Amino acid sequence: MCKLYAGLAWIIAAAVVVQAAAIAFAFGGVLNNVAGGGVVDKALLESGGAGGTGELGFWIHGIVGAGVIPLLAVALLAVSFFARAKGARLWAAITLGLVVLQVTLGFSITDMPFLGLIHGANAFAVVVSAVAAALLARRSRRARATRATAEEATEDAIAA
Amino acid sequence: MPSRRDLVRCAVVGVAVATALGAGALAWSSTLLGEYSVMDMGSSDHGHAGHGEPVSAGASPTGASGTLTATGDVSVTSLAADPDRPADVRVELVARQQLVEVPGGRSVDGYTLNGTSPGPEIRARQGDLVEATFVNESVAAGATLHWHGIDVPNAADGVAGITQDAVPVGGRHVYRFEATDAGTYWYHSHQVSHEQVKGGLLGAIVIDPAAPPEVAADVEVTALLHVYGGQHTLNGRVGDEQVAASAGETVRVRVINSDPGTAAVWSASPFRVLATDGHEVDAPTPVDGQRLLIPAGGRADVAVQAPPRGAVRLHVGGARSIEIGEPGTSAARTPQPAQTLDLLAYGDPTPLGFDASSPDRTYDYVIGRRFGVIDGRPGNFWTINGRLFPDVPMFHVREGDVVAMRIVNDSGEVHPMHLHGHHIAVLSRDGVAASGSPWIVDSLDVHPGESYEIAFVADNPGIWSDHCHTLPHAVDGLIAHVMYEGVTTPFTINGDAGNQPE
Repeated sequence: MCKLYAGLAWIIAAAVVVQAAAIAFAFGGVLNNVAGGGVVDKALLESGGAGGTGELGFWIHGIVGAGVIPLLAVALLAVSFFARAKGARLWAAITLGLVVLQVTLGFSITDMPFLGLIHGANAFAVVVSAVAAALLARRSRRARATRATAEEATEDAIAA
Repeated sequence: MPSRRDLVRCAVVGVAVATALGAGALAWSSTLLGEYSVMDMGSSDHGHAGHGEPVSAGASPTGASGTLTATGDVSVTSLAADPDRPADVRVELVARQQLVEVPGGRSVDGYTLNGTSPGPEIRARQGDLVEATFVNESVAAGATLHWHGIDVPNAADGVAGITQDAVPVGGRHVYRFEATDAGTYWYHSHQVSHEQVKGGLLGAIVIDPAAPPEVAADVEVTALLHVYGGQHTLNGRVGDEQVAASAGETVRVRVINSDPGTAAVWSASPFRVLATDGHEVDAPTPVDGQRLLIPAGGRADVAVQAPPRGAVRLHVGGARSIEIGEPGTSAARTPQPAQTLDLLAYGDPTPLGFDASSPDRTYDYVIGRRFGVIDGRPGNFWTINGRLFPDVPMFHVREGDVVAMRIVNDSGEVHPMHLHGHHIAVLSRDGVAASGSPWIVDSLDVHPGESYEIAFVADNPGIWSDHCHTLPHAVDGLIAHVMYEGVTTPFTINGDAGNQPE
């Protein structure tokens, strides 16, 4: 279970990197569109196509941010109850909390643009907490492996 | 060998997971709508305490043949224009699902009417009876025509699953209505509307006044805005237009926003707003250094005076503009003003024509947003009065009622709220009473945090959609209905006819 826990945590961290890349791609597309004489207005925004070449970036950011990462974070918390690692539940809960905050911020940016500042910073917090969770699971697995080797060695010694 | 404690733990976890999955599946399946009728929809809401007895029922001003009685129910299909009256304007509109040629741009997959998109502009004179025969030649999902902004009798409203079945391929449907109110309107499909409107199943309809308007125009031009596959068009073309006008002549520009988002109109020269959503503004003053915002689905008639020399440029929507004046001359583009014209205080106040101070029914339409599941589809959906579709309110009215509604936007995005079959008068915004010419609309932008008080007279019996015209928002639950007492519909949504109005 520790392996699964660590795997999920790493995927969450990687997905945040995908998010950063996707939104940069999307806004690159917007700027490219405007530079070519295109106009971005509410009509275009709602009809789709504001991102020009980078339109896929908006799509990825939406699907991964509002769908994939929250589901992974919920799965991480569920798995944490079966992962025998100290602090697994705590870090999974922190990760999920940050993800919930991140999604809420994301949906509120249109109305309150300044929240974008927190949205960007909080993305790093999600990465840090997901990596912390992953490392914690790895440490715990290694510690158990070392203990098992030591016990085996002791048993061998006794047998000898 | 696992310990007893481990076994117990595994069993408990197994039971918990199975229960959670079972409960989840049950909860999910309970959101599946299947075939349903709007008649069964929503929480029963009959409005807050009214004042006095409603006025007795009678024939609607649009000439509907159906009448209401206290006991006998009337089907939406019988709420139609006088069948014996011959039509003054006849038009046949043939819909096809095909590649739409966009002059000046690239072709896109979409829909045409009589081979083009936008479809032909329909022109009628106030008081005319319009008869439009709609033929679906190849629109696979079926299609309808809704007469956006015209207070048609309910049978002609064109909402699939409420007032008719979607017209299947090879089918036809006849729409008949009296063009009671002069003004600028448009028509579009109300079957899978978020797709079909976007794809161009739409066109303009202009009703010329029987008597000359307050501001007479020397030249008239329609400016229908639509985005086809990311390309901003003006009357279907990717490009600006030139309108020839002699010095001092007044040009009436009928701007139609068929897009799902707000459109801005501005110019370096002063212009006047003659009408909003087909209703004339009383004593419109020159607008200088401000922009006019037209909600999605909304229209505005704007008057521009041709300059003594050269041309003036009227920007319509973010990307397109119209140059008005001497042929062959041009006017520079001008940046969009940051300040918006406030229609709440524009023009001279005149009586509304009804008493909105003591409404018979008072309703709330509070828009919010939350995560949930609609029809088995998880998402971050719009809520009405805190509830998710289909558990949204049904606004029950009786013919003759004066209905007041408080529209509040507690979400983070603007919503262009569109009521079918009626025009609403804006009474106040955020507690500030309207002080200009009566602001009469059928599409009203409600921005985040805003609260509007509006009122309308229930004078057109039927079942009428009251939804957001950023059409994907309607798909995501931002739709409710105004239901007249004693009116029923035989049509259903999601049934064999494949009706999906949004």
